[in-house]
Amino acid sequence: MLKVSLRNLFVNKLRLFLTVAAVTVGVAFVSGTFVLSDTMGKAFDQLYAGLTSGQDVIVRAKAPYEIDVTTGGTQRPLDESIVARVAGVPGVVVAQGDVAGYALVLDKAGKPIQPGGAPTIGGTASGDDRLAGDFSYRSGHKPSGPQEMALDAATAKKAGFGLGDHVDVVYQGGRRTFTLVGTIGFGKTDSILGATFAGFDLPTAQVITGKEGKVDNVAVKGEAGIGAAELRDRIAAVLPDGVEVLTAEQVASEGSASVRDAMGIFTKVLLVFAGVSLLVGSFVIWNTFNVLVAQRRREVALLRAVGASRHQVLGGVLAEAALIGLASGVIGLFAGVGLAAGIRSLMKLVGAEIPTTTPALETRTVVAALAVGLGVTMVAAIAPAWSATRVSPMEALRDAATSSSVIGRLRSTAGWVLVGAGALGLVACAWVGNVPWWTTFATLAAFAGLVTAGPLLAGGTARLADHGRRGSGWRMAARNIARNARRSAATALALTIGLTVVVAVAVTAASMRSSITAAVNDGNRSDLILQPAGMGVGMPASVAAAMRERSDLGAVVAFRESGARVNGRNAFVTGMDTAGLSDVIDLGIESGGLEGLDHGSILVSDKKAEDLGVGVGDTLTVTYPETGAVRMRVAGTFSKGFLINATYVMGMADYAPNVTSKLDAAVMLSNAPRVDPAQTKAAVKKALAAYPNVKVSDPAELTKDARHSVDQMLGLVTALLLLAVIVAILGIVNTLVLSVVERTRELGLLRAVGATRRQVRTVVRRESVLMSMLGAVTGLALGTGAGVALSRALADEGISRVTVPVTTLLVYLVVAAGVGVLAAIGPARRASRVDVLQAITTE
Amino acid sequence: MTPQRLDSVPVPAVGEVTQAGELAARAVAVRKVYGTGETSVVALDDLTLDLPRGQFTAIMGPSGSGKSTLMHCLAGLDTLTSGQVFIGETDLATLSDRERTVLRRDRLGFVFQSFNLLPTLTAEENITLPADLAGAAPDPEWFATVVDKLDLRSRLRHRPSELSGGQQQRVAVGRALIRRPAVVFADEPTGALDSHASSELLRFLRSVVDELLQTVVMVTHDPGAAAHADRVVFLVDGRIVLELSEPTREHILDVMGRLGEE
Repeated sequence: MLKVSLRNLFVNKLRLFLTVAAVTVGVAFVSGTFVLSDTMGKAFDQLYAGLTSGQDVIVRAKAPYEIDVTTGGTQRPLDESIVARVAGVPGVVVAQGDVAGYALVLDKAGKPIQPGGAPTIGGTASGDDRLAGDFSYRSGHKPSGPQEMALDAATAKKAGFGLGDHVDVVYQGGRRTFTLVGTIGFGKTDSILGATFAGFDLPTAQVITGKEGKVDNVAVKGEAGIGAAELRDRIAAVLPDGVEVLTAEQVASEGSASVRDAMGIFTKVLLVFAGVSLLVGSFVIWNTFNVLVAQRRREVALLRAVGASRHQVLGGVLAEAALIGLASGVIGLFAGVGLAAGIRSLMKLVGAEIPTTTPALETRTVVAALAVGLGVTMVAAIAPAWSATRVSPMEALRDAATSSSVIGRLRSTAGWVLVGAGALGLVACAWVGNVPWWTTFATLAAFAGLVTAGPLLAGGTARLADHGRRGSGWRMAARNIARNARRSAATALALTIGLTVVVAVAVTAASMRSSITAAVNDGNRSDLILQPAGMGVGMPASVAAAMRERSDLGAVVAFRESGARVNGRNAFVTGMDTAGLSDVIDLGIESGGLEGLDHGSILVSDKKAEDLGVGVGDTLTVTYPETGAVRMRVAGTFSKGFLINATYVMGMADYAPNVTSKLDAAVMLSNAPRVDPAQTKAAVKKALAAYPNVKVSDPAELTKDARHSVDQMLGLVTALLLLAVIVAILGIVNTLVLSVVERTRELGLLRAVGATRRQVRTVVRRESVLMSMLGAVTGLALGTGAGVALSRALADEGISRVTVPVTTLLVYLVVAAGVGVLAAIGPARRASRVDVLQAITTE
Repeated sequence: MTPQRLDSVPVPAVGEVTQAGELAARAVAVRKVYGTGETSVVALDDLTLDLPRGQFTAIMGPSGSGKSTLMHCLAGLDTLTSGQVFIGETDLATLSDRERTVLRRDRLGFVFQSFNLLPTLTAEENITLPADLAGAAPDPEWFATVVDKLDLRSRLRHRPSELSGGQQQRVAVGRALIRRPAVVFADEPTGALDSHASSELLRFLRSVVDELLQTVVMVTHDPGAAAHADRVVFLVDGRIVLELSEPTREHILDVMGRLGEE
């Protein structure tokens, strides 16, 4: 039987290619995701290990809870007297205080250097060589004094800075010019994963990071012969409360674990997209095997007649599926490695250099790729294989029966009931709101219904198309669709899956856009908003200070944000100037009021208040990563925090003592009475010329920018989902090729009685268009329903409006028809090249 | 799809009377060689044949005598190594593939041994297929005449799978006639039928020639079938070896016997 399976595989190479490709795309996605995240994880491990390799133990403030990339927030800086205290511990060779924080380097043109999302770091770079580890000077020397700085070699090279050049740096206190005296490398690479690093001596770094007289941590090297653990215990004995000491190894592994955690989210998101591709791919496989089994009924019957058991028939089909699955797994694995490399070079383009060239191909990745390829293919082939075993040996003796397209009453009833239940479910979800899981479930139910009732849908589509002038290809195409209604339905439904997700995302994005507009129009009262440009994290406090000096402005309200815990849950808290607050923003106070927002009190979003079960007058515990727990009284609840992305709001007087960073996330301005808004805007822009990292927007621009970033996100997600749609298109091509091969005689006859090649191509093309339109229309309908319900499910995330982007959906429909035409090119050509004589003389 | 009509292929006007004596088609010194060098096989060897209008011609010969090849060449389905084939006054060799396709659609009719019909189309749609492909409505009077002549009126809405073998072949004859072709080519049209359906179909073909004044060329190996023709052309090794006019079954059997002995 294996020989038969093998031979079957290679009979039609195009079909083999398309089938394998259908699964390969998904597998490549999975393995690419793993390779990428493993490679990056390895890179971070090496980086952390390298940077701490010269150190034995590290002293730092003890955080009240574990802080990492996802929770946000930083450790409290320590008083620098701690360094001397640690240095005095017997066995310590050298102890050195370090600080790090925000420092934005400007290029020669005065533009901020902010490589794609990577941080812009400023810190100490004049430490003891014995502690330096992988941190080394590529050129020049360590900075010393308030005028000198060093730069990571990558940034220096990119910006064209040489030693002796003047470099401008924006820091949280303002802007200063330094002389470049050295460039820094980190092991083999010239940057810390694409971040910019500006290095100073300790006193200068303390000023730059706003930590005068403080250090973030103390790096320690002990005498040879004293173990890190021993040293740690000796130092621990002299430390005050709230300060901890860890071995360098512990810190390194903690750091990379936290990065890996953050990347876990990224990995999960990518795997969801891979899952969509795989689901579509499994549909293609299922369909292909159904067709193959139908086409081979006589062959199977013959095998049965000459003594093959049902078991052997089942094994034969499954063996074929296993070979295809294995091939997809192996090809997908390598394609995934390539994909990861491609993404890596893309990241390098935007400035995120990953300091290792060997992609990490871990056993888990290999196993996952093979298992996914094999698993998806086998599962998809089980039902067709089972139906092959139902072929009676008698069929070998009869004429090939035309495959029945009719489905039973039970199945059609079940199908429509599921579709109806799913649709009703979606309506209910949209009505109720905030039920993402039920939305997903209802969508799946409706889709299951479509699968069950699919042949009826295909039949209906065929009936709709079975009109028009005779001899136009529609009629014949419609009949062919109806003849193989099951196959047509399965083909179309693969496209349905892809489009459902694409459309749901598009609807959600459109809702998000209109919600943003609504939020700005509704909640904003300011005339100008200052924000960090690009991917910047914040603006120096001097920006807001400069604004307060101006006579053409009314209220100036600065916002800051930090990770913290509220009643034990991770959250972000917002600190703001309370004076003039109601001049720049309407928070939509639901209970209590701004008047009550005095020292020691906090405003909570109405939804969070409901979640936590608190009301005005109740008490909350806010735990800051730097300073620990503070109890605060709830002064009121608000409903329009979306504009400034706030859930917990307090006065700056409560916020500032707990957060060292003085960077403002936004500053909202209102004009003074009777000034010309345009003039004021121009004047403010001019006043901020020294801060190229600050973006001045009026509310209209703010809306535009926010909508633009939603569009960018939509574009990215759609691009990832396109892979699934491509798989669906491969499915259409596959089905068309299979049915063209199956209809060789019919096509020959058609040509013999006078159909031109073009007419034959037209028929095939119209079949393709009919299938893609069926997939598109069902996908659009289901996707719109799911998108509306999803938008309503995300009401808590700030989506207050539901918008269906009709134009976009119509474009998708037209594109789907175009895709149908494209998918038909190959099969149609094949059909038109049928050898007439051979087709009609083959008995 | 746009209606496709080529000026280079004259289509007889509806109602044009076909006159006996004119030639519907002819083959002049046709040669067909398959393969090259030592392995080449001569299928048609300098063969010349006239097919007068309004005549029922049967082509007979042993297996491999070239009778099917001759028919395929006459119908423009196969190309010649040398020689010429004319349908009316049109030299097939001067036509492109597309022009030959249109010629088949507008001026020739085909009936094959089996698998003549598109399974997804009804009997009526199968009959009107060449007209539909041409983007032209079939002449309703002619359609009615053909359908009545072939006794298919009650079967028009049926799919091929709902028709008997004989009915299917009659639908194929109907399709062959719908464009009032210059010639109808029938390749073993009774090969897959039982004797009753077989003789019924032959009577229909005969009446198509006699009453609808059509030209029919039939390839067959059945002497009984050939006996319905106006003349029988015998082929051996790609050459015409004998012609019979007004043949009887006995006469044909006699000739076949003699040819077999040689």
